Amino acid sequence: MKKLLTLLTLLPLTLLAHLNIAVSYPYIGALTKSIGGEHINTVVLAKGNWDPHFVIPRPSLITKVRNADALIMNGGQLEIGWLPPLINRAGNPRTSPRASSFLNLSHHIELINKPVDVDRKDGDIHPDGNPHFHLNPNNILLLAGVIKKFLISLDHEHQEVYEKNYASFLSSWSEKIKGWEQKMAAKKGMKVIQFHDNLAYFNQAYGLQNIGTIEPLPGIPPSSKHTFKIIELIKEQKPCCILHDVYHSTKTAEYISSKTGIKIVLMPHDINSLESIDDLGSLFDHLTEAVQ
Amino acid sequence: MKKLLLLALSGALVYGEVVGVIPANKRTFDQSQYIPDISVVLDASYVNRNKTNDELQHLELPGVAHALLGSHEHDGANHATYNADQGFNLNYAELVFSSNVDPFLTMDAILHFSKNGVEVEEAYFTSTALGHGLRARAGKLLSNFGYLNAQHHHYWDFGDMPLVYEAFLGSHGINELGAQIQWTAPTPIYMMAGFEVLQGENEQMFGNATIGDIEDPIAKGKDAPSLFVGYAKTSFDLGDTTFFGGLSYAQGSSRIDHSDDEESPHAFTGDSKLYGADLVILHAFDSYSSLKWQSEWLSREMKGTQYSDATLSTSSAMKKQQSGLYTQLIYTHDQNWKFGARYEAICHNDVKVNGVNTNKPRDFRKYSAMIEYHTSEFARFRLQYNRNDSLYNEDGFKQTIDTIMLQANISIGAHGAHSF
Repeated sequence: MKKLLTLLTLLPLTLLAHLNIAVSYPYIGALTKSIGGEHINTVVLAKGNWDPHFVIPRPSLITKVRNADALIMNGGQLEIGWLPPLINRAGNPRTSPRASSFLNLSHHIELINKPVDVDRKDGDIHPDGNPHFHLNPNNILLLAGVIKKFLISLDHEHQEVYEKNYASFLSSWSEKIKGWEQKMAAKKGMKVIQFHDNLAYFNQAYGLQNIGTIEPLPGIPPSSKHTFKIIELIKEQKPCCILHDVYHSTKTAEYISSKTGIKIVLMPHDINSLESIDDLGSLFDHLTEAVQ
Repeated sequence: MKKLLLLALSGALVYGEVVGVIPANKRTFDQSQYIPDISVVLDASYVNRNKTNDELQHLELPGVAHALLGSHEHDGANHATYNADQGFNLNYAELVFSSNVDPFLTMDAILHFSKNGVEVEEAYFTSTALGHGLRARAGKLLSNFGYLNAQHHHYWDFGDMPLVYEAFLGSHGINELGAQIQWTAPTPIYMMAGFEVLQGENEQMFGNATIGDIEDPIAKGKDAPSLFVGYAKTSFDLGDTTFFGGLSYAQGSSRIDHSDDEESPHAFTGDSKLYGADLVILHAFDSYSSLKWQSEWLSREMKGTQYSDATLSTSSAMKKQQSGLYTQLIYTHDQNWKFGARYEAICHNDVKVNGVNTNKPRDFRKYSAMIEYHTSEFARFRLQYNRNDSLYNEDGFKQTIDTIMLQANISIGAHGAHSF
C-alpha cells in the first residue's frame, strides 16, 4: 500500500520531468531535441514536406499547443497564416507570445532582405525581412545557443545537461560547417534561379547569387509573361540551375528547362521535406551535394 | 551687441533642434505604435434571377419562414439578405479592428457598413490568460453553434447562407449579445465543449419581447437572457485527412411578432429547441490543394401559441417540428482556383395546430455550384449558380428560382488568420 502511494506521488513528478515543447517546424524540433536530450519532448506542428507559409490550422494542432509547456516558433511572420488562431483557441498561458516560455527565434537573428516599402502590390512580402534564416548553417549555431538559454530558463535543474549537450552540438556542427564550406568553396559567385527566395540565407552563406524567381512576386503564382522574362534572363545570364523547393509544382520550371536546357535541382528546406532527410546534418549534406 | 546677436542665434539653433529633430517614435505621448490591426473587407455582387425583386418578396417556405429572399420592410427598418437585389449589390464593407487590450484580454470589433446603415456584426473581448484550456468571451458575438455559424460571411465557400440556417435563424444565424465559455480538454485528441448565455433576440426563432400593448399584452415578454447554447466538438487526423465533428443544442423562449404585417398578421409565443450536428472532412493533397466535405443537419422544435387573424384574437396551440441539412463539396485546385457544389433540403415539416397536422409541404430543395478565382489570398471572385426549388407563392404553387451571381470579396489591411 505504502509502495503504491509513493509510486502515485512520484508519477506526476516523472511526468513533470519531461518538458513538453511545441515547435512550429521540424528543424526547430531537431535542434531543440539535440540540446534538450532526454529531458524534453518536442511536438512538431507543421509537416516538413509542405509549404511552411501555408499550414492547415487543424484542430488536432490546438490540442498540441494546449498541452504544451512551452512553444518555440520561427517568427518573422512565417507562421502568421496559421499559428495565431491555434494559440488563441488553445487557452494556454504558457504558449502565449508574452510568456517567458514562448520563444520567437527571429528575434535573435539579423534578418536580410528587409523591404524598405511594405505594400501588397509587391506581393506577399515579409515586412520583417526574409524569415527562412535557418538555411544558413552558421545561423543554426546561433539558434542552438538561443535554445540552450531558453531551456535553462525553463528548467534550471538540468542546466549542466543542456550546457553539455550544447557543447557537443557546437563542436560537431562546427566540424560539419567546415566540411560544407570546403565543398561549396568553388561555387562562390554561381548564379541561380529559384521559385521563391527561400534559399536567401543558404546563398548568403556560400556566396551564391540569386538572379530571379519563377514566381513574379512573393506568393503570386507564375504568369506566362514573367516566365518568358525568366527564360530571356536565363539565356542572357546563364545561371547554373533552378533551385526548386519541394512543395511548389515544378511544372513551370520544367517548361523553362525545356526552353533553355537549364538543370532543375530539388532543394529541401526542412527535415522530412525529402524522404532521405531525417536530421539537420543530412539537410545541409543534401543541399551542398545537390548544387555540385 | 555682438554677444547678444550670438546668444539669440544659438538660442534659435537650440530651439530649432528641439522642434525639428526628435524622431516620431521618441515623442513623449505618441501612441501610433498602439494602432490595432485594421482591415476592410468589401463584399459586392452582381445578381441575375428569373424573378423580379417584387415577386421574390412574397415567396415563402410554408410553415417554416416567409420573406426569405430579397429585401422587405419590418418595424420601419429595411431588412435585406445578402445579394438581395437584381443587378448590383453592396453586401457590406466590413471594418475589422482587433488588438490585445492588456496582458489578459484581446478585443475585436467587426462593423458592417451597408445601405441598411452600420451594423455591429461582432464586438467582443476574449480572455487570453485563464489557463487550463479555458477561454471566455463576452459582447456581441456569433455563436459557435454548429460549424458555419461562427464563421464570417467573407470566409464562406458560397455567397449565400444555407437554406436551413436562413430559414430557421435568419441571414445572420445566432448573432447575439451574451457571454461564452469554451474549454479544450487536456486529452491527446481534440475535444472542446462550450456554453453560451445569450440575450435571445433572433427574429426568426427566438425572442423575449412582449407582443402587443404593454398594458394589455397578447403575450407577456420573458426576462433576458433567454437563449442558452451548448456544444461539444472533436477532431482527429488520419494521415493527411482531418475529421472534425460536433453536436450543438440551443434552447430559448420564442416571441415572434409579425402583428404589424400587412398580409396575414400573426404572432407566436412559446419555447424552442434547436439541435445541430456537423461533420467536416478535409483531405489535403499538398500545401495548396484539398478536398473539403462539409455537412450540417439542423432540427428544431417550437411549441407554443399562435395568434392569427387581423386583431390577433384567435389563438391556437402550435407545435412545429422541422429539420433540414446542407452538404457541400469544395475542391481547391491550387492557390488560384476553387470549385464547389452544394445540396440542401428541408425534408421534415410537421406543423400541428391544436393537435392536427396541417400537412405542410416538405419538399424544399436547393442546388448550387460555384467556381472561384483568387488573384491572391486577399481577393477572390466567385461565379455561383443556384437553383432554389423551395419557395411557394401565395397561391400555394411552388416556384423555381434560378440565380446567377458574380461576387467579389476583397480585403485590405491587417486581417487575422482564420481558424479551421
